[in-house]
Amino acid sequence: MISLTSLAFVSMLLFSIGAIGVIARKNIFVIYMSIEMMLNGINLFLVSFARYHFDMDPQVITIMVITIAAAEAAIFLSVIILLFRSKKSLNTDVFTTLTQGEKS
Amino acid sequence: MVDLLFIGLSLLAIGGAIAMIAYANPMYSALGVLISMLSVAGIFALMHATLLFLVQIIVYAGAIMTLILFILMFLNIREEDLPKEPNKFKLIALGAVIMVPLNVLVIKAVSKLPSKDMLLTNTDFGDIGPVGLVLFNDWIVAFELVSILLLVALIGTVVLAKKRVKRAKQLGEKS
Repeated sequence: MISLTSLAFVSMLLFSIGAIGVIARKNIFVIYMSIEMMLNGINLFLVSFARYHFDMDPQVITIMVITIAAAEAAIFLSVIILLFRSKKSLNTDVFTTLTQGEKS
Repeated sequence: MVDLLFIGLSLLAIGGAIAMIAYANPMYSALGVLISMLSVAGIFALMHATLLFLVQIIVYAGAIMTLILFILMFLNIREEDLPKEPNKFKLIALGAVIMVPLNVLVIKAVSKLPSKDMLLTNTDFGDIGPVGLVLFNDWIVAFELVSILLLVALIGTVVLAKKRVKRAKQLGEKS
Protein backbone atom coordinates (compact mmCIF):
# COMPACT_ATOMS: atom_id res chain seq x y z
CA MET A 1 0.00 0.00 0.00
CA ILE A 2 2.77 2.47 0.84
CA SER A 3 3.92 2.91 -2.71
CA LEU A 4 5.84 5.81 -4.14
CA THR A 5 2.72 6.84 -6.05
CA SER A 6 0.57 7.14 -2.93
CA LEU A 7 3.30 9.14 -1.19
CA ALA A 8 3.63 11.39 -4.23
CA PHE A 9 -0.15 11.79 -4.24
CA VAL A 10 -0.21 12.94 -0.60
CA SER A 11 2.71 15.31 -1.02
CA MET A 12 1.37 16.81 -4.24
CA LEU A 13 -2.02 17.26 -2.57
CA LEU A 14 -0.35 19.13 0.31
CA PHE A 15 1.60 21.27 -2.18
CA SER A 16 -1.54 22.02 -4.20
CA ILE A 17 -3.56 22.95 -1.14
CA GLY A 18 -0.76 25.34 -0.19
CA ALA A 19 -0.75 26.89 -3.66
CA ILE A 20 -4.56 27.20 -3.59
CA GLY A 21 -4.28 28.95 -0.24
CA VAL A 22 -1.83 31.46 -1.71
CA ILE A 23 -4.17 32.04 -4.66
CA ALA A 24 -7.50 32.18 -2.86
CA ARG A 25 -7.02 33.72 0.57
CA LYS A 26 -6.50 37.35 1.52
CA ASN A 27 -5.49 36.90 5.14
CA ILE A 28 -1.70 37.34 5.25
CA PHE A 29 -1.33 34.79 8.07
CA VAL A 30 -3.11 32.14 6.04
CA ILE A 31 -0.91 32.96 3.05
CA TYR A 32 2.18 32.47 5.18
CA MET A 33 0.88 29.15 6.50
CA SER A 34 0.09 28.09 2.93
CA ILE A 35 3.72 28.70 1.98
CA GLU A 36 4.76 26.53 4.91
CA MET A 37 2.35 23.86 3.69
CA MET A 38 3.92 23.92 0.22
CA LEU A 39 7.36 23.46 1.79
CA ASN A 40 5.96 20.58 3.82
CA GLY A 41 4.65 18.85 0.73
CA ILE A 42 8.02 19.18 -0.99
CA ASN A 43 9.75 17.83 2.13
CA LEU A 44 7.51 14.78 2.07
CA PHE A 45 8.27 14.26 -1.60
CA LEU A 46 12.02 14.45 -0.97
CA VAL A 47 11.88 12.05 1.96
CA SER A 48 9.84 9.49 0.04
CA PHE A 49 12.38 9.62 -2.81
CA ALA A 50 15.19 9.22 -0.26
CA ARG A 51 13.52 6.03 0.91
CA TYR A 52 12.90 4.91 -2.67
CA HIS A 53 16.51 5.32 -3.80
CA PHE A 54 17.94 4.42 -0.37
CA ASP A 55 20.02 7.59 -0.53
CA MET A 56 20.64 10.09 2.25
CA ASP A 57 21.09 13.25 0.15
CA PRO A 58 17.38 14.22 -0.06
CA GLN A 59 17.11 14.04 3.72
CA VAL A 60 19.99 16.52 3.99
CA ILE A 61 18.21 18.80 1.52
CA THR A 62 15.10 18.49 3.67
CA ILE A 63 17.08 19.64 6.70
CA MET A 64 18.23 22.67 4.67
CA VAL A 65 14.63 23.41 3.64
CA ILE A 66 13.46 23.25 7.26
CA THR A 67 16.27 25.61 8.31
CA ILE A 68 15.36 28.09 5.59
CA ALA A 69 11.70 27.84 6.62
CA ALA A 70 12.68 28.72 10.18
CA ALA A 71 14.66 31.76 9.00
CA GLU A 72 11.73 32.75 6.77
CA ALA A 73 9.35 32.44 9.73
CA ALA A 74 11.36 34.92 11.79
CA ILE A 75 11.55 37.52 8.99
CA PHE A 76 7.97 37.06 7.76
CA LEU A 77 6.38 37.32 11.19
CA SER A 78 8.30 40.46 12.12
CA VAL A 79 7.25 42.00 8.81
CA ILE A 80 3.62 41.01 9.54
CA ILE A 81 3.84 42.73 12.94
CA LEU A 82 5.15 45.93 11.34
CA LEU A 83 2.46 45.84 8.65
CA PHE A 84 -0.29 45.24 11.18
CA ARG A 85 0.96 48.11 13.34
CA SER A 86 1.02 50.59 10.48
CA LYS A 87 -2.15 49.51 8.63
CA LYS A 88 -4.27 47.85 11.36
CA SER A 89 -5.31 45.17 8.93
CA LEU A 90 -4.39 41.68 7.80
CA ASN A 91 -5.83 42.09 4.31
CA THR A 92 -3.28 41.78 1.52
CA ASP A 93 -5.27 44.26 -0.60
CA VAL A 94 -4.36 47.01 1.88
CA PHE A 95 -0.62 46.46 1.53
CA THR A 96 -0.36 48.06 -1.87
CA THR A 97 2.31 50.63 -1.12
CA LEU A 98 5.86 49.97 -0.01
CA THR A 99 6.08 53.33 1.77
CA GLN A 100 6.24 53.64 5.51
CA GLY A 101 2.81 55.16 5.63
CA GLU A 102 3.64 58.87 5.50
CA LYS A 103 1.45 59.41 2.48
CA SER A 104 -1.67 57.68 3.73
CA MET B 1 -1.02 -2.13 10.33
CA VAL B 2 1.54 0.13 8.65
CA ASP B 3 -0.87 0.70 5.79
CA LEU B 4 -3.65 1.74 8.15
CA LEU B 5 -1.22 4.08 9.92
CA PHE B 6 -0.19 5.60 6.61
CA ILE B 7 -3.79 6.10 5.49
CA GLY B 8 -4.74 7.67 8.81
CA LEU B 9 -1.75 10.01 8.85
CA SER B 10 -2.34 11.05 5.23
CA LEU B 11 -6.02 11.77 5.89
CA LEU B 12 -5.06 13.83 8.95
CA ALA B 13 -2.42 15.75 6.97
CA ILE B 14 -4.80 16.54 4.12
CA GLY B 15 -7.66 17.34 6.51
CA GLY B 16 -5.48 19.77 8.43
CA ALA B 17 -4.44 21.47 5.20
CA ILE B 18 -8.07 21.76 4.07
CA ALA B 19 -9.00 23.20 7.48
CA MET B 20 -6.24 25.77 6.97
CA ILE B 21 -7.72 27.18 3.77
CA ALA B 22 -11.37 26.77 4.80
CA TYR B 23 -11.51 28.55 8.17
CA ALA B 24 -11.81 32.32 8.27
CA ASN B 25 -10.22 32.66 11.70
CA PRO B 26 -6.40 32.34 11.47
CA MET B 27 -6.28 30.65 14.89
CA TYR B 28 -8.20 27.63 13.60
CA SER B 29 -6.05 27.68 10.45
CA ALA B 30 -2.89 27.54 12.58
CA LEU B 31 -4.25 24.58 14.52
CA GLY B 32 -5.03 22.82 11.24
CA VAL B 33 -1.47 23.41 10.05
CA LEU B 34 -0.19 22.03 13.36
CA ILE B 35 -2.19 18.81 12.88
CA SER B 36 -0.95 18.56 9.30
CA MET B 37 2.71 19.01 10.28
CA LEU B 38 2.52 16.42 13.05
CA SER B 39 0.95 13.95 10.61
CA VAL B 40 3.71 14.64 8.09
CA ALA B 41 6.21 13.93 10.89
CA GLY B 42 4.47 10.58 11.38
CA ILE B 43 4.82 9.79 7.67
CA PHE B 44 8.54 10.68 7.96
CA ALA B 45 8.79 8.09 10.72
CA LEU B 46 7.10 5.53 8.46
CA MET B 47 9.68 6.40 5.79
CA HIS B 48 12.43 5.52 8.28
CA ALA B 49 13.71 9.10 8.49
CA THR B 50 14.05 9.22 12.26
CA LEU B 51 16.17 12.37 12.42
CA LEU B 52 13.75 14.25 10.19
CA PHE B 53 10.85 13.00 12.30
CA LEU B 54 12.43 14.66 15.32
CA VAL B 55 13.43 17.80 13.41
CA GLN B 56 9.94 18.16 11.98
CA ILE B 57 8.33 17.95 15.41
CA ILE B 58 10.88 20.18 17.16
CA VAL B 59 11.40 22.86 14.51
CA TYR B 60 8.11 22.96 12.60
CA ALA B 61 5.52 22.03 15.20
CA GLY B 62 7.54 23.20 18.19
CA ALA B 63 9.20 26.40 17.01
CA ILE B 64 7.53 27.78 13.88
CA MET B 65 3.91 27.03 14.71
CA THR B 66 4.37 28.16 18.30
CA LEU B 67 5.84 31.40 16.96
CA ILE B 68 2.83 31.85 14.66
CA LEU B 69 0.34 31.15 17.47
CA PHE B 70 2.26 33.52 19.75
CA ILE B 71 2.16 36.33 17.17
CA LEU B 72 -1.54 35.65 16.49
CA MET B 73 -2.35 36.03 20.17
CA PHE B 74 0.07 38.95 20.58
CA LEU B 75 -1.56 40.99 17.81
CA ASN B 76 -4.99 40.63 19.47
CA ILE B 77 -6.86 40.25 16.20
CA ARG B 78 -10.58 40.97 16.44
CA GLU B 79 -13.35 39.87 14.14
CA GLU B 80 -13.44 43.21 12.28
CA ASP B 81 -9.68 43.09 11.54
CA LEU B 82 -10.09 39.95 9.47
CA PRO B 83 -10.36 40.62 5.74
CA LYS B 84 -13.73 39.89 4.19
CA GLU B 85 -13.49 37.16 1.58
CA PRO B 86 -16.90 36.88 -0.07
CA ASN B 87 -15.82 34.69 -3.01
CA LYS B 88 -13.27 32.59 -1.17
CA PHE B 89 -14.70 29.23 -2.20
CA LYS B 90 -14.99 30.31 -5.84
CA LEU B 91 -11.29 31.19 -5.82
CA ILE B 92 -10.47 27.91 -4.10
CA ALA B 93 -12.29 26.04 -6.87
CA LEU B 94 -10.41 28.08 -9.47
CA GLY B 95 -7.08 27.27 -7.79
CA ALA B 96 -7.98 23.58 -7.69
CA VAL B 97 -8.70 23.66 -11.43
CA ILE B 98 -5.33 25.35 -12.00
CA MET B 99 -3.44 22.80 -9.90
CA VAL B 100 -5.02 19.66 -11.41
CA PRO B 101 -2.76 19.40 -14.53
CA LEU B 102 0.45 19.62 -12.49
CA ASN B 103 -0.78 16.90 -10.14
CA VAL B 104 -1.78 14.63 -12.99
CA LEU B 105 1.60 15.14 -14.66
CA VAL B 106 3.65 14.39 -11.54
CA ILE B 107 1.60 11.36 -10.50
CA LYS B 108 1.69 9.92 -14.01
CA ALA B 109 5.46 10.36 -14.11
CA VAL B 110 5.96 8.82 -10.66
CA SER B 111 3.67 5.87 -11.34
CA LYS B 112 5.86 4.92 -14.35
CA LEU B 113 8.81 4.26 -11.99
CA PRO B 114 9.42 0.62 -11.03
CA SER B 115 7.82 -0.23 -7.71
CA LYS B 116 10.02 -1.01 -4.73
CA ASP B 117 9.31 -2.17 -1.22
CA MET B 118 8.93 0.98 0.88
CA LEU B 119 8.32 -0.78 4.19
CA LEU B 120 10.42 -0.49 7.32
CA THR B 121 13.70 -2.32 7.37
CA ASN B 122 16.14 -2.93 10.16
CA THR B 123 18.87 -0.55 9.06
CA ASP B 124 20.33 2.66 10.40
CA PHE B 125 19.05 4.53 7.33
CA GLY B 126 18.04 8.05 8.28
CA ASP B 127 19.52 7.95 11.76
CA ILE B 128 21.35 10.98 13.06
CA GLY B 129 24.79 9.41 12.52
CA PRO B 130 24.61 8.58 8.79
CA VAL B 131 22.70 11.76 7.95
CA GLY B 132 25.27 13.80 9.86
CA LEU B 133 28.11 12.11 7.99
CA VAL B 134 26.51 12.96 4.65
CA LEU B 135 25.74 16.50 5.85
CA PHE B 136 29.29 17.24 6.97
CA ASN B 137 31.06 15.46 4.13
CA ASP B 138 29.13 16.13 0.95
CA TRP B 139 27.06 19.18 1.88
CA ILE B 140 29.50 21.19 3.97
CA VAL B 141 29.38 24.29 1.72
CA ALA B 142 25.59 24.33 1.76
CA PHE B 143 25.67 23.86 5.53
CA GLU B 144 27.94 26.88 5.98
CA LEU B 145 25.82 28.97 3.61
CA VAL B 146 22.67 28.05 5.54
CA SER B 147 24.37 29.07 8.78
CA ILE B 148 25.21 32.45 7.24
CA LEU B 149 21.59 32.73 6.11
CA LEU B 150 20.40 32.12 9.66
CA LEU B 151 22.76 34.83 10.91
CA VAL B 152 21.43 37.26 8.27
CA ALA B 153 17.85 36.39 9.25
CA LEU B 154 18.68 37.04 12.91
CA ILE B 155 20.19 40.45 12.15
CA GLY B 156 17.32 41.29 9.83
CA THR B 157 14.75 40.47 12.49
CA VAL B 158 16.55 42.61 15.05
CA VAL B 159 16.69 45.53 12.61
CA LEU B 160 13.01 45.12 11.74
CA ALA B 161 11.93 44.90 15.37
CA LYS B 162 13.86 48.04 16.31
CA LYS B 163 11.85 51.11 17.26
CA ARG B 164 11.81 53.70 14.52
CA VAL B 165 10.76 56.80 16.42
CA LYS B 166 14.08 58.53 15.71
CA ARG B 167 13.92 57.95 12.00
CA ALA B 168 10.34 59.23 11.79
CA LYS B 169 11.42 62.37 13.68
CA GLN B 170 14.34 62.94 11.32
CA LEU B 171 12.03 62.60 8.37
CA GLY B 172 9.63 65.04 9.97
CA GLU B 173 12.41 67.62 10.51
CA LYS B 174 13.58 67.33 6.94
CA SER B 175 10.17 67.87 5.38
